[in-house]
Amino acid sequence: MKNREILFKMENVKAYYKLEEVTVKAVDDVSLEIFEDEVIGIVGESGSGKTTLSNVISMNIMKPLTLVEGKVFLKINGEFEEISSMSREEVKKKFWGKEITIVPQAAMNALMPTIKMSKYIEHLAQSHGIDKNELLSKAEKRFEEVGLDPLWLKRYPFELSGGMKQRAVIAIATILNPVLLIVDEPTSALDVVNQKIFLKVLMQMKKMGIVKSIVFITHDIATVRQIADRMVVMYAGKIAEISPIEEIVQKPLHPYTQGLLNSVLTPEPEIRKRGITTIPGAPPNLVNPPSGCRFHPRCSYAMDICKEKVPPLKEIEKNRKVACFLYMEERK
Amino acid sequence: MFSLMIRPLFKNKKFIIGISIFIFFLLLGILGPVFYKVDPTEMTWDYEQPPSSEHPLGTDTYGRDVLAQLFHGIRSSLYIGFLAAIISSIIGTIVGSFSAVKKGITDDILMAITNIVLTTPSMLIAILIASYLKVRSMEAVAVILGLFQWPWYARAIRAQLMSVTSREYVYLSIMAGYSDTKLVIEDLLPTIATYAFMSFVLFINGGIMGEAGLSLIGLGPTQGISLGLMLQWAVLLEAVRRGLWWWFVPPGIAIVAITASLMIISTTMDEVFNPKLREE
Amino acid sequence: MSRLVVENLTKVFSLGFFSRRYIKAVNNISFDIKEGEIVSLVGESGSGKTTTAKMILRLIPPTSGRILFEGKDIWKDIKSQEALRDFRRKVHAVFQDPFASYNPFYPVERTLWQAVNLLEKSPSNKKEALELIKESLVRVGIDPKDILGKYPHQISGGQKQRVMIARCWILKPLLIIADEPTSMVDASSRGGIIQLLEELREEQGTSIMFITHDLGLAYYVSDNIFVMKDGEIVERGHPDKVVLEPTHEYSKLLVGSIPKLYRKLEGL
Repeated sequence: MKNREILFKMENVKAYYKLEEVTVKAVDDVSLEIFEDEVIGIVGESGSGKTTLSNVISMNIMKPLTLVEGKVFLKINGEFEEISSMSREEVKKKFWGKEITIVPQAAMNALMPTIKMSKYIEHLAQSHGIDKNELLSKAEKRFEEVGLDPLWLKRYPFELSGGMKQRAVIAIATILNPVLLIVDEPTSALDVVNQKIFLKVLMQMKKMGIVKSIVFITHDIATVRQIADRMVVMYAGKIAEISPIEEIVQKPLHPYTQGLLNSVLTPEPEIRKRGITTIPGAPPNLVNPPSGCRFHPRCSYAMDICKEKVPPLKEIEKNRKVACFLYMEERK
Repeated sequence: MFSLMIRPLFKNKKFIIGISIFIFFLLLGILGPVFYKVDPTEMTWDYEQPPSSEHPLGTDTYGRDVLAQLFHGIRSSLYIGFLAAIISSIIGTIVGSFSAVKKGITDDILMAITNIVLTTPSMLIAILIASYLKVRSMEAVAVILGLFQWPWYARAIRAQLMSVTSREYVYLSIMAGYSDTKLVIEDLLPTIATYAFMSFVLFINGGIMGEAGLSLIGLGPTQGISLGLMLQWAVLLEAVRRGLWWWFVPPGIAIVAITASLMIISTTMDEVFNPKLREE
Repeated sequence: MSRLVVENLTKVFSLGFFSRRYIKAVNNISFDIKEGEIVSLVGESGSGKTTTAKMILRLIPPTSGRILFEGKDIWKDIKSQEALRDFRRKVHAVFQDPFASYNPFYPVERTLWQAVNLLEKSPSNKKEALELIKESLVRVGIDPKDILGKYPHQISGGQKQRVMIARCWILKPLLIIADEPTSMVDASSRGGIIQLLEELREEQGTSIMFITHDLGLAYYVSDNIFVMKDGEIVERGHPDKVVLEPTHEYSKLLVGSIPKLYRKLEGL
């Protein structure tokens, strides 16, 4: 992989949900870099902290979620700005829409069925102090780019099918050409035909330079595999593995990644031959996660050290980072 | 499960106020006649007396003790209310649940009947029936009232059950060989329990108000004493114009307080059990 | 021998009272399932696959056509209550939503008691019945201590689906309709549920029909695949044939759109 410029980085971030009685450690000591011109896939099961991670990336931090530790940087005009030192309101005002945009899970169902699509554009223009008509004509062009008739702007969301709604949402979300686009489970509510169309639209946006980098959050490895350059595997609030996509699919390193890949069912002869395996047990409770490596109670390779020490995320091959003692010196 | 549902109710101040008022009147109705052993129908020569130590709430034109009448009136009004509510609830639950479960032609027929009853001015029919009966017992009045206030409830029950019957657990019970009756009792009724209870409260209310309404126009029970009858006598003998306040104010307050408390109970239950109305 | 034969099955829903509109949910489909065979009915939502499943389960009546189970028309030849109970013992289902499969008012094991009470030879006393329930739970990999007496919201989705399979294990039906049994379960527990169903087939020769939108799952488990689109079966056959050499336009589109693990989709 060529040497790339870093667009975004977070260092040792801990983001917890502080509830009345308990604290949910949804993101616990996570460091991550996002390069310019890449699609990064964040994969994990429900409750792995992937959605929380997306909120940290965009600094969309609202109670009870609290940033406990760590720093988040975003490169703006060639300089890193520490966005974690700003308030949510400040980040929202300064960077949302222009530098960083998040399309949350089920965003397409959050559209008010009785508000015309163009109203959203007008609202956006108002809050960013841009001329309304200028933005509307831009939206028409963007709608065309995502394969929607510009006339749809004058329609109500309930008139659009699921796939079209999702494309409309992405068109509106990227209207100000954000550098970094974060999409959370954008395809899980769509049928496969519309899934493919949506992925195509995303890739096209990147090719055209509308967005520079994309963070794609999903539970579906096969989907991420289609568009991502790198894949981040999350387990119980921590990163288990970060690797280039081809390598992780061919040779997963972390035992959890192996288990996850072996549970994928796609219509391919390799899968039918391989069979399907299950990871025993269930994901841990993040209020009181297991000691040491959080995967050790379910891991068939677990050693004594796994119960005691937390494995650091280390680069063990070029561009491949894994948090597992199997690949480290300490295991002896 | 049950205690889980009940507990939040008792954290609601309005509910506590409502239920306290209601229980207070319930106890008056039950215990009043037990401790205050004056015959409410006994006529004496002490007529139209204002409150005194002998007659704490005075007497009416026939020299009957108003306090004794009030106790017995509350008792019978509540009795009529409960009886009417039981009748309405049973009819409504059966009609609503069978409509939802049997579907098809059964549903069409039951809903047609429901709509007819719903759109008929029920008080008018109640007046018609009541005027045909020469002798009207408390029970007869309750039945007349109970027969006409169930339709909105049956429709609501049907709508709620319709959405429940397409849930998987209902299919699984059918697949376990359940009969329709068993299905309704085990799987469907628990889901509408809170709604049914709320409606029951409103039905009591309807019964009490209905009785008062019928009595005021002279079509109430022909024997015994109820709050409605007390008011009717007071009206007939021009108690209001003649300033005999002790005669009509107590039953008036009792009716307003009981029905208001029932309304409070049912609206706060709605607030507690319907998350959309819950205050943050 | 065919265990289930579906012939020219059609279901038309009518909407409205005065101006009736008709929707053909299932349009003249025919197929059969053999003893010990696993088949999949694949289609998007609205393709009529769930309606087909409900008709086979005798939950909604067909508009026309026949469903023969062990040679008997399940809508015409079942007349007595006893015959219906017999059918219920032999054809069972696992549904998609593990949360909706349990009545929240009752403990989880209620669903297993229902199965025990449906048995032809119910255990003679409560103790024996409880033993049977415990055995079934162990059989699906659950420690009975973990779920007995618990309410549905207290156990995980994966566990709930396993309990559903325990219910099937108690009944030992001849045909199980599995309606998206894994789509709402976490990836890591998915395999276990499929394996348990496969084991039922190995041990008891149970025929299984998967109702799913997931061609990957269908390709992996089935002996035979039927692809449904707008109420009709548009493609049928061995999984390799359906997935590797689809002939109908729709199945070609479907196969071409599904993300794969070892291949990149064309045209992205």
